[in-house]
Amino acid sequence: MGWYALTNNAPWLTLVLVVPLAGALLVALVPSMARRAVKQLGVLTAGATLLLVLLVIGGFQHGVGNLRFQFEEVRQWIPGVGISYHLGVDGLSLFLLGLNALLFLLAIAVADPATPRFKQFVLLLLILEAATAGVLLSLDLILFYVFWEAMLVPLYFLIGAWGEGRRVYAAFKFLIYTVVGSFAMLVAILAVAAISFSQTGQLTFDWPALVAHPASGLAHLPLGLTVGVQQLLFLGFGLAFAIKMPLFPLHTWLPPAYTASPIPVLIVFAGLVSKLGAYGFIRFNLALFPDAAHSLGPFLAVLATIGILYGAFMALVQTDLKRLVAYASMSHLGFIGLGIFTGNLLGIEGALVQMVNHGVIIAALFLIVAMIERRTGTRERAQLRGLATGTPLFAALFLLVSLAALGLPGLNGFVGEFLIMLGAWSAFLPLAVAAGIGVILAAWYVLRMYQGAFQDGPVEPTGFGEMRATDVGVLAPLLALMVLIGISPAFFPAAVEATVKALPVLTR
Amino acid sequence: MTIDLNGIGIDYTAILPELVVAGTMIVVLFLELFVPPGRRNVLAAVTVLGLIAALVANVPLWGQNRVAFAGTVTGDSLAAFFNVVLIGVAILTAVISPRYLRALQLDYGEYYILLLGATLGMMLLAAATSLMTIFLGIELLSICLYVLCGFARAQLRSQESALKYLLLGGFATGFLLYGMALIYGATGSTTLRGIAAFSTAEASGNVLLLLGIGFLSIGLAFKASAAPFHMWTPDVYEGAPTIVTTFMSVATKSAAFAAIGRVFIATFPAIANRWYIPLALIAVLSLAVGNLVAITQDNLKRMLAYSGIAHAGFILLGILPGTAEGFGATLFYVAAYAVMNFGAFAVVTSIGAAGEQTADISYWRGLFYRRPFLATVMTIFLLSLAGIPPTVGFFAKLFVFKALVTSQIWLPLAVAIIMTIVSFYYYLRVIVVMLAVPAEGIAVKERVGASMGTVLAVSAAGTMILGIFPSFVLDWATRAASLHL
Repeated sequence: MGWYALTNNAPWLTLVLVVPLAGALLVALVPSMARRAVKQLGVLTAGATLLLVLLVIGGFQHGVGNLRFQFEEVRQWIPGVGISYHLGVDGLSLFLLGLNALLFLLAIAVADPATPRFKQFVLLLLILEAATAGVLLSLDLILFYVFWEAMLVPLYFLIGAWGEGRRVYAAFKFLIYTVVGSFAMLVAILAVAAISFSQTGQLTFDWPALVAHPASGLAHLPLGLTVGVQQLLFLGFGLAFAIKMPLFPLHTWLPPAYTASPIPVLIVFAGLVSKLGAYGFIRFNLALFPDAAHSLGPFLAVLATIGILYGAFMALVQTDLKRLVAYASMSHLGFIGLGIFTGNLLGIEGALVQMVNHGVIIAALFLIVAMIERRTGTRERAQLRGLATGTPLFAALFLLVSLAALGLPGLNGFVGEFLIMLGAWSAFLPLAVAAGIGVILAAWYVLRMYQGAFQDGPVEPTGFGEMRATDVGVLAPLLALMVLIGISPAFFPAAVEATVKALPVLTR
Repeated sequence: MTIDLNGIGIDYTAILPELVVAGTMIVVLFLELFVPPGRRNVLAAVTVLGLIAALVANVPLWGQNRVAFAGTVTGDSLAAFFNVVLIGVAILTAVISPRYLRALQLDYGEYYILLLGATLGMMLLAAATSLMTIFLGIELLSICLYVLCGFARAQLRSQESALKYLLLGGFATGFLLYGMALIYGATGSTTLRGIAAFSTAEASGNVLLLLGIGFLSIGLAFKASAAPFHMWTPDVYEGAPTIVTTFMSVATKSAAFAAIGRVFIATFPAIANRWYIPLALIAVLSLAVGNLVAITQDNLKRMLAYSGIAHAGFILLGILPGTAEGFGATLFYVAAYAVMNFGAFAVVTSIGAAGEQTADISYWRGLFYRRPFLATVMTIFLLSLAGIPPTVGFFAKLFVFKALVTSQIWLPLAVAIIMTIVSFYYYLRVIVVMLAVPAEGIAVKERVGASMGTVLAVSAAGTMILGIFPSFVLDWATRAASLHL
């Protein structure tokens, strides 16, 4: 049951894609000099999208209802080749969709209209929003691939043209990694369709049709493949997702890309795009190749755990706050990966919850880093000291975000991490212990960042200003989510549980 | 309007588009005598109008199978499909020509006559169902292009380009003719229909016929610039005036594939086991050579030349299954290639209007900051050439892959996949260079111009729109591909 029933006659999900694109078109028509108008239009568009998504979330039927996709739209796209325009949401994508709309609104809201070529900047952000929403909503493999690749170009330009430092190098590295990974996925997609074609005589790229495959003979044993073939296809899809996440050792594009990204881009990049890799693992790898997920799970879980520790250690030695948060993000993504590869209900549920939580926390952290940098002109940990003096509100909010980031019970970060640890405990005990060390390290680098910059001695540099109303306004929705999810931790799992339980990896 | 002449059905409707283009050519020929040198835009305008009329003249051919002139030409959906592509490319070329020609002081009326002549030859090649008309088409298009390549008479590179093309082209024509003679000797017929009737499975041991097919293929592969008959391509493309390269890189290749389709899929399906392996080798070799050598090119025109060789390999892959589905993928690829490659070369042309050294990649550094429009559309074309959605190049590759998968042709598919990954490097490299910090000392050059701007916008929009709604072109391509002689 949902909070209310939304009429099924309106193409809600198509609207979620169309509104940002229409906004982008309007932005394109505004003269470049009208920077404020561009920003207002951008915020308005992203706000309208968020309202639309909230409407969908409210109308989503929980419980048994979310076993199937909701707000489904199926239209023929390229009928000759079995490609359809198939959209739908279920427990896996619902909250990420909300996160998507929220983070893009914040990103555009904090974007500085004085940015050079500001109009193109907002335009690309809006196109990116449509692409990421498309990735979450697509239920056709080719449609998914198209949206997946459509993210690439705006992101490339957002980093390459508006970034700082070695932006072109960072953008190129990101581009090459992603393109190669995605192409491996395309080949795997074609192979899945070809295998299904050879078994049923019907060419389709439709996710529901492939997952509940008639040729398998058994319900939810997709494609009826041997483990060997499944592993190969699993790795084909997995390469694209592992690069996006990124999973150790495919992470080397991340530090330059995150360092170069401007803050508004970073909010959606670290907050959302990285999660799409994890989402892809759950949506496609765990559903299409459950046996491979079980056989390769331990191996990938080890990689994810290495990522947790590697990210945490790297975060410890960073002196630049932006890089520190970037590595912290990688460490947290490792937790999400670990949860996914446990292959059990708790782990996957925890990963899903943590995906939303991490998006909220990392966006808030980057926002705060940006606020500090704007006030002091530096992100160097060594040059910041005792900033809490005279800015109690700033200090309090930063502390709250820090505590959420290190997983304090009562705040949102704890919920996902705890579920993941429970799942990992029953699946791979040694990895759970190692991940526990990651939690301790997180407390270390997060608190050191907070204490170093805000306590610890006299104010340096001086003239550090208190949070303004706009700053608080931007952080408010994120802080509210941290507290809300933290105090009613059962909310998310209840919403996603039915969907996760139906995943082939759990039912095989 | 069928006129029965001595029992030979002469159906002028079947070659109506060709007739319109030939008529336009004659009109421009005479008009050129009276138009003063400063007013040569009139010639371009007449050319465009004539080509538009020719485009409309294709309507009666769709869904038809009008065999005319004793079976030597056929006006069918396939011919109409290629006519639309070829005429479309010719129109876009004619629209952007005046400005470019004036900039290089090449504004002579012969240009439009030769352009129309080459288009006519290509259209004839697409409709040809006899060895005679195939030869006629190839010669007509080749001779016009030889002259066009050397059109910048004062430039040594242009002269060299024309001479190379002429000598090697003449050599290839020799192979072509020899092959035709052998096929005629083996089958006793010059029409494809007659040859097809002879070429049953029993004929697969006929050495004369097989040799003939081999030589004929060399001649056609030369025109399609498929490896190992590609050697002329980079030099000729680089030396010729860029506007000519833009036209020929797209149109010649398309026309050659029309003939290859008619020969292999419609005429020799029964002995497919004989031509499959050589054709597969040519395709695989084109993919490998084109993509691997393109990596090392620092000149955009040469890079696009090698990329064109690679795309020829992709287009040939669609022929391999010998099915209507595969050929449909080929046709879709041809149309996609026409849009995106034309666009890419048109950008090079636009930049080259300032001088011919601008094809070097170092000149493109920081193009995004100097010429944002050109850099943006170039990005779209390059992404499409690389096969990244949502552009038409993605679906072109996807449909070819799918045809290979359903026909279970694995080895060439594997090569195609690996080479696609390789190709990402050199296409994306240009995008990266355009975004790099601009070098000092290159001033902002002239603006794009209305005609070029429109053509580029149309090509870019076509690349994107077909990348989102490929269905209707695929539909046309599939129907055009169901050949009947």
